[in-house]
This record gives sequence, C-alpha cells and structure tokens, in this order.
Amino acid sequence: MLEGQVTIASIHERPRAGLLDFLTALGGWTASLTVAGAIGWILFDVFAQGLSNLDWRFLIEPVQRSGRAGGIGPLIVSTGLILLVCLAASVPIGLLSAILLAEFSAQGNRFVAWVRRALDVLAGVPSIVFGLFGNALFCIYLGMGFSILSGGLTLACMVLPLFIRSAEEGFRSVPGEYRLAGFALGMSRARLLFRIQLPEAAPGLAVGLILSVGRALAETAALIFTSGYVTRMPSSLADSGRSLSVHIYDLAMNVPGGGPNAYKTALVLVVLLVFINFVTTWIAKHGLHKRILSL
Amino acid sequence: MKRFKLSALVIISIMSAGLLSACNQSTADTSADNDSSAVTGKLVLAGSSTVAPLAQEIGQRFEQEHPNVRVDVQTGGSSRGISDARSGLADIGMASRALKEDERDLTAHTIALDGICVILHADNPVESLSDDQVRAIYRGQLTNWNEVGGQDAPITVVNKAEGRSTLELFLHYYGMESTEVEASVVIGDNEQGIKTVSTNPASIGYVSIGAAEFAAEDGVSIKLLPMDGVAPTTQNVRNGSFPLSRPLNLITQGDVDGLSRTFIDYAQSSEVNDLITGLYFVPTQ
Repeated sequence: MLEGQVTIASIHERPRAGLLDFLTALGGWTASLTVAGAIGWILFDVFAQGLSNLDWRFLIEPVQRSGRAGGIGPLIVSTGLILLVCLAASVPIGLLSAILLAEFSAQGNRFVAWVRRALDVLAGVPSIVFGLFGNALFCIYLGMGFSILSGGLTLACMVLPLFIRSAEEGFRSVPGEYRLAGFALGMSRARLLFRIQLPEAAPGLAVGLILSVGRALAETAALIFTSGYVTRMPSSLADSGRSLSVHIYDLAMNVPGGGPNAYKTALVLVVLLVFINFVTTWIAKHGLHKRILSL
Repeated sequence: MKRFKLSALVIISIMSAGLLSACNQSTADTSADNDSSAVTGKLVLAGSSTVAPLAQEIGQRFEQEHPNVRVDVQTGGSSRGISDARSGLADIGMASRALKEDERDLTAHTIALDGICVILHADNPVESLSDDQVRAIYRGQLTNWNEVGGQDAPITVVNKAEGRSTLELFLHYYGMESTEVEASVVIGDNEQGIKTVSTNPASIGYVSIGAAEFAAEDGVSIKLLPMDGVAPTTQNVRNGSFPLSRPLNLITQGDVDGLSRTFIDYAQSSEVNDLITGLYFVPTQ
C-alpha cells in the first residue's frame, strides 16, 4: 500500500517537474532574448537612422541652424573637456575614498559605515537634483557661471558614489595574503599600494571607470543647468559648452526637423562610448596588470 | 587622524577647483579688454526652451557681424528667464509668453509670435471641437470620442508639464485651472507632444502651430483643428486672426542701452526673419 502511494506520487511528480523545468527554461530564454533584443533594436535603430548620409565633416563642422545643419565639432570637444574635468576630479577622490573604505571596513568602523550610507543615498539621487545643486554651488555660489568646469565638477559629484563602490569592490578582491607577503618582504605601505593592490584591483577600477564615463556621457539633466547650451567651440574651461547628450535632447525635443541630426549625434555618442569601454578594458588588462610582473 | 586626512582632502579639492576657475575667469576678462571694435562684450541670455534655439541662431549671426561679441544662450524655461533677468544672472531673459501682472517691473521685447493649436491623430474623424468641448475633454467630463462625433474610443488627454508656458497660455485661453485638468499623459516639449499624439489614434494634445504645421507637412499623422472657425496657419497667427497665440519675448530690467540694446534691435529687425520662419515661428513684421 505504502509502496503503491510512493509510485503514484512519483508518477505524478515527474511530468510536473519536467513541465516546470521547461517553463523555467522558456522563461529564462524569453527574458534574456527580450534584453538582447531591446539592446539590438536600439543599436539597429541608431545605426540605421544615423548612418544615412553621415560623413566625416559632420564630426568637425560647427553647429548651424540650431543643429539642423552643420556638424557637431565643438560639441565633441566640449563633451571631451567635461569628461576630463569630471574624471580629473572624481578619480583621485574616488580612489582615495575607496582605499579608505576597503582598508578600514573590516574593523566595523562607524565613520566608514556612515560614509558608505552617505554614498548609497547619493547614488540614488536623481540627476536633475545634481544639476540644480551644481547650478547653485558651482555656477552661482563659487562664481564659475555656466561653464565646462561647473558641468564637469557636477558630473564628478554624480559619478563619485558609483565609482567608489566599484573601486572598493576591486580593492577588496585583492587577496589579504598579498598584503601580508608584501609586509613580510619589507615593502612600504605606499609601494604595496601602487605595486600590488592597485594593479590587482585594476579590473574593478576599470568597471567603475566605464560605469562613470557611461553615466557622465549619457547625462542631460545635470548638464543643462551647469555646462549649458552654448554651441561655440570652447576656448577655455570657463566657457559654456553643450554636451552631445544635451544636443540630442534639444534636437529631438525643441527643434522642429532636428530628428535626422539627433540620430547622427546619437550614433557618434554610442560609438564614442563603445570605444572608451574598449580602451579602458584594454588598459586595465594589459597596462596595469603588467606592473606586478615588472616588480 | 583619519578624519583630518579626509577633511584636508576635501578642502584641497575645493580650493584647487576655485583656483582653476579664478585663472580661467581672469584670462577671459583680459581677452575681452583687448577688443578694440565698437561693439564688444559678452551677452548672456537664459530662459524659455522654445525661444532658446531661435535666440541661439540670432546670436550666431550677430556674432558674425560683430566679431568681438559673444552671445551665450542658456535654457531652462520661461520662469527661469524671468527670474534670471530680474536677478541679473542673465543680461536678457527669454519667455514664450507675455509678462504677468506681477512682472511689470521688467520690459518685454517681442521678437516673434507663436500660435498654439489643438491636434488630433490624422485618422480621427473629428474635424473640429468647440471651446466648450475642449474644456470638457480636458476636465475629464467628456471621456469618449463618440460623444463628439468620433469613434467609440476612450480619449487620451495629453497635457503639458507644469511650468511650461504653452500650458499657461492654453489654460488662460480656456479659463481653466491646472488642477482641473484630468490628463492621461504629461509631456514636456512640442516635439514630444507631436510624437505622443501621432502614435495614439485616440489622443488629443496642443502644441505650437509652426511645429505642428511642419510635422503635418512632413507626413507625421496628426491634424490641426481650427479654432472659432479660423484655420490654424502661421499666416493667421501673423495677421492676428488666430485667437490662441503667444509672443516670444526677450526680457530686460527696464530700458537697456549698449550691447543689450543693439542685440534686441537686431533680433527685432527683418534681418532675422528667415531664422524665425526657419523654426516655424511667425515674424512680427
């Protein structure tokens, strides 16, 4: 009797488990295909619409007729400068903070816990709030006005939490034995950091850098109020300069007939982003990692 | 000790940022001082995102004629244009509406006109709506197209976001408060409004006539509704017969002279008419 029950149960269970497996697999495939499809569709759309009559002069010519004619030369320069200011401010501060967080977190330091919570809150703040904050602090209070400097520093505030968190993960992934071995060999703390920990944490740092650059390049709301709307070629960091993403937004939303050039600009931005990703990954793999061997 | 290091770091970074900006400002100042021609200096315009592309193009042409002048245009909305002109953050504000009662301390200089019209999807059989019908639709009292002679489909009401002057003008004309509007979709700019209505056959929205006229001629599936029997065309906006239109204004603190005056005179002259019509606005003369 008991034996019979078990058999019936197992008979009933097998097809059910099979169905469940099948449904799970189907769900998984559907979900991942949807994600891949969405990305594929966006890329296809941008390339299909952007590549039509795109020529190299678009990349160097000045903006004319609100972007409906001419090119995006000055905007590429402005975007590059904003990004440089952003990285010049965020990478040193971010690296030092990440080292502090990674080194002292194990000891349950209350200050470190507080910093980490502040970073998490900061990471969730909408970018328009950073824009208004940057406008109030950098443009008005510190007197920088609408400038590439204001825009870059505002972006730095925005990407810092993101960068610090990934960099911290990078530093924590360095095995603790390396540190002990280093000290045993009589290495100084600085030497240990620059020769062992930094190169070992490079992949994590690269991820942080790529995420930061991606977020900075994609940013519109924070830049409209800080680096501004001017399409002239910037002559210094104190000049206002429109970024590529602000240009895309303006062409798509405010300029009738701006659609085709919005797509071309979007294509340039996507290619730029992929290029930066590639270069950063390559440097992290080949540039920094070799330093350990050349010790 | 740790605390000290961190605060030192913060102070150093802020100081270096301040130094950098100071350096850059001084170089910008000296370059401006060295200019020798009659009209020199830098003008900052800020405000309405509707006026910004036009002001930017006028500024570009003005810079070509006066090589020692720089015209910087910033955007952010009409309210920002008013407040920046008042606070002096901008030399000239931009607003896509007339000044209100409490803004009479400022002076408006109209450079172009813009009409607003109600748009429907091109496939919608409804050919016109009375003011009362539009009001009822936006108040949520009329919710189906079959109540105004259309097909049996619930109406999607597309409204502009708070702070947009198109919204203020629309509400003012129909005598409504923004809290009365029962919107299904809230949008920001003209192009977004056109895109939203053209992709939803049961929707109703309102945008600039110039932008809508261009989109309709370009094959986008929208149609422009007449108002009080007056056809929504740029011609009818210019001759004043179209009831729902707005001025595009440059805003200054009282009467101005010098560079601002020269620029405003230029922006109001017929020399920039091609730029105005190029953006589907209507020149004043």
